[in-house]
Amino acid sequence: MSVLDELVAGAQHDQRAREQATTLAQLKEQAATMPAPLDATRWLKRPDAIPVIAEIKRASPSKGHLADIPDPGALAAQYAAGGASAISVLTEEQRFHGSLDDLDAVRANVDIPVLRKDFITTDYQVWEARAHGADLILLIVAALADDDLRRLLDLTHDLGMTALVETHTVEEIDRARAAGAKVIGINARNLKDLRVDVGKYRELADGLPDDVVKVAESGVFGSVELEDYARAGADAVLVGEGVATADDHVLAVQRLVKAGATVKASEQTPLSEHEGPYFGQYGGRFVPEALVSALDELERVYEDAKRDPEFHRELARLNQQYVGRPSPLTEAPRFAARLKEKTGVEARVFLKREDLNHTGAHKINNAIGQALLVKRMGKTRVIAETGAGQHGVATATVCAMMGLKCRIYMGQVDARRQALNVARMRMLGAEVVEVTLGDRILKDAINEALRDWVTNVEDTHYLLGTVAGPHPFPAMVRDFQKIIGEEAKQQLNDWYGIDHPDAVVACVGGGSNAIGVMNAFLDDERVNLYGYEAGGDGPESGRHAIRFAPGTGELGMFQGAKSYLLENSEGQTLDTYSISAGLDYASVGPEHAWLKDIGRVRYSWATDGEAMAAFKDLCETEGIIPAIESSHAVAGAYKAALDLKERGVEHPVMIVNISGRGDKDMNTAGKWFGYLTDEQSKALEANGAQGNNA
Amino acid sequence: MDVDTVPANGTPTGQPLGIAHAPSPCRTLFDRFKAQDKPAFIGYLPFGFPTMDLSLEAFRTMVDNGCDIVEIGLPYSDPVMDGPVIQAASQIALRNGERIHDVFKAVETVAEAGGVPLIMSYWNLIFHYGVERFAADFANAGGAGLITPDLIPDEAGEWIEASDRHGLDRIFLVSPDSTDERLRIVARNARGFVYAASRMGVTGERATINASPQRLVERTRAADAENVCVGIGVSTPEQGATVGKYADGVIVGSALVHTLLDTDGDVKDPVQGMGALANTTSALADAIHGCRR
Repeated sequence: MSVLDELVAGAQHDQRAREQATTLAQLKEQAATMPAPLDATRWLKRPDAIPVIAEIKRASPSKGHLADIPDPGALAAQYAAGGASAISVLTEEQRFHGSLDDLDAVRANVDIPVLRKDFITTDYQVWEARAHGADLILLIVAALADDDLRRLLDLTHDLGMTALVETHTVEEIDRARAAGAKVIGINARNLKDLRVDVGKYRELADGLPDDVVKVAESGVFGSVELEDYARAGADAVLVGEGVATADDHVLAVQRLVKAGATVKASEQTPLSEHEGPYFGQYGGRFVPEALVSALDELERVYEDAKRDPEFHRELARLNQQYVGRPSPLTEAPRFAARLKEKTGVEARVFLKREDLNHTGAHKINNAIGQALLVKRMGKTRVIAETGAGQHGVATATVCAMMGLKCRIYMGQVDARRQALNVARMRMLGAEVVEVTLGDRILKDAINEALRDWVTNVEDTHYLLGTVAGPHPFPAMVRDFQKIIGEEAKQQLNDWYGIDHPDAVVACVGGGSNAIGVMNAFLDDERVNLYGYEAGGDGPESGRHAIRFAPGTGELGMFQGAKSYLLENSEGQTLDTYSISAGLDYASVGPEHAWLKDIGRVRYSWATDGEAMAAFKDLCETEGIIPAIESSHAVAGAYKAALDLKERGVEHPVMIVNISGRGDKDMNTAGKWFGYLTDEQSKALEANGAQGNNA
Repeated sequence: MDVDTVPANGTPTGQPLGIAHAPSPCRTLFDRFKAQDKPAFIGYLPFGFPTMDLSLEAFRTMVDNGCDIVEIGLPYSDPVMDGPVIQAASQIALRNGERIHDVFKAVETVAEAGGVPLIMSYWNLIFHYGVERFAADFANAGGAGLITPDLIPDEAGEWIEASDRHGLDRIFLVSPDSTDERLRIVARNARGFVYAASRMGVTGERATINASPQRLVERTRAADAENVCVGIGVSTPEQGATVGKYADGVIVGSALVHTLLDTDGDVKDPVQGMGALANTTSALADAIHGCRR
């Protein structure tokens, strides 16, 4: 006899004893006096939450005694106060130490649906559930023949109740559906280690139609398992031990409810309007508590600004009159010819010319937006990090224009290779601090900026330059950069009469120019999106900044956000390398991580060699000198063209984002192509102004 | 229902752990200290600094000289809450090949010496090691709890679950500009004590401490935190005594790290270093433990 058989037999035995005291006819009379049952299906599926069914559970055969629960009514009220959507009451007496008295007590104490959980195999038990005020009952497919399952389900529905129909296998799910189940519980515990097996859950739940409520029924203990199930598509979860044995029952349920809401919010579409803090499982705020107030303030002020037409007018005015927007969308026919030579693909290529913005890159779009927020917050001092120097220059520029005190942190290695930009920043009145800690590159500059911010947060704003870092930066910076794609879309239409591009191509370091040019197209499936990371010497070399290729980045928290991260086996951040300082970053914006996971953007990389060859191609064919960062996008255009060909896209229309101009890179390029001798380039480095040491 | 998970012999084996319900190790210590009306002395050193063996000796030295709770720091490549002294020490440890799985030796060392072992770690190290695996290994080694400088309660779901299962303390931080709402969130999710930063900023020694930590301790208690300890910027016995008058514990880090470094920031001769560490620890312990008498 299986355990289930034993339990069923035990439940039937107990029922016979109860029948001596109360006949079925009496139960029916009693049921007629009860208030009508609640429609539990409406409580168990919501667009913005993962409803939690919290269980009154004293013991289980597998774990033995769990909790005494002297007052189940009070416990149910605590669950409800924590936000539970339904209460499950075990009424099985022998092994779970429950009773119908528990059910009565719970019913008397809560207004949310109540589930009678027992080994129900008879009409008597169903009537009994209703007579004691249950809105839901459990039916276990494994314990019932098809006829019985259908009969009990029909009776349940006739009495206005809902059945949670428990299944373990695909076959049981099919039987449950055939019998007319509306709420299906899936038990996906891995029987080997008894852990939740989300893979098994997915396998089982796959193919269930939307009108069936899917309840993850086993192994949910805390927010970790809830999140796993929710991301696997569960509509609701049932939690027993995790809430019944908690020290603070209200808090335990609250944590689950919050985790569910977070998952729902993190997957909301349309993609182009998705807000933080989470992009899928990525993003968040992995920061010291000391920064939380500042981040909250920034979020609040930004939300206010977004609703304020005056803010938008001022931003638009500055974009037009100061930055020189819109930046043109330039067709590149001679480059397209070279692309055809190299790939055989006949494409029309359009360059989005962020290099023509004031300060020579897209970075100023974000710097202006945030500087306006600094004014609204009443802060007087701005700090920023910079890699290639473009964001530092943009920040120094807007600070000069708005009269804000400005300090730029730059890794020493970057400062040396971008000496001219250091000079520009100082010319603009910024203090440039060369960071000599760690690897002395972008990430170390961000660390120093964060330390400065933690210390001076009262009067200082950290003007983060990319779509990384803690919430609200990723979504906010995206909003300030999305003008790139919006303009490109309009210009393609107005200037060239083309409805939509077939592909949009960008380089991805932190990812702000890429998000900026892609956002307007995220929800248009006709547009293929391509992001190119800094390949350095190639993925196998260990000298690169590729986060997305297999065997490179892993899931991790870095500088405030959860995303893909280059880290060693100990979780320490790996050294990164790229010829372009602006792409030389160990992590990547959380929205990109999400877009990668859901397959909306295809990410690959361009090596130093490929980027520099593309740099030269664009110079020679179009008379446009791109930044080495942007050259990774140009190199990517060749790769994207081949991919489009493979996907059967004929004569593709491609937009390549030229995120910045390459004047700053002349020293590097001169060396690369042998136009400068070693001595000459050393002299350039020595002459380039370096920053102060902190 | 979980009926199919019953093993053949009917005994409950192999199940995932439930909530431990073990008493909080830190709270137990604070209860004892409160009965004697004295604050606890919490000392920090990075693990693996200057070398692994010497760091074990250093932790023992700290406990032997009056340190009640030892905060074992896990060196991290990007420590955004740490000032130059601890950054330098962490770099030295990493260069010497510090490995996270060895840290449990330090935990055992502290426990054997009679101290309460805490680990202080940036979150990615724990996350990468595996939160549940870390909690299990840490508890097995006799660990008491974890201080998380860059993990706020809002992001701590996995850690809250693992620490509940293994009976470990969760020490979150608050800072002088934390709102009352933030203080309540931290206090409600913390276990053991709340770490109050004496000022805005990163770790490191300061000549003076202003009055803000006392106010923060009061506000944190008003937000329902049972025990509040003050750290960041406390370095001298005098400062320790001042803070100890109102805080449940006093946390000292950089000043202890400093004893093992020479004026150039290089590692001192070990014998000299341990001597200096012992002297500084004992002076701090005397001042802190005796400050209310």
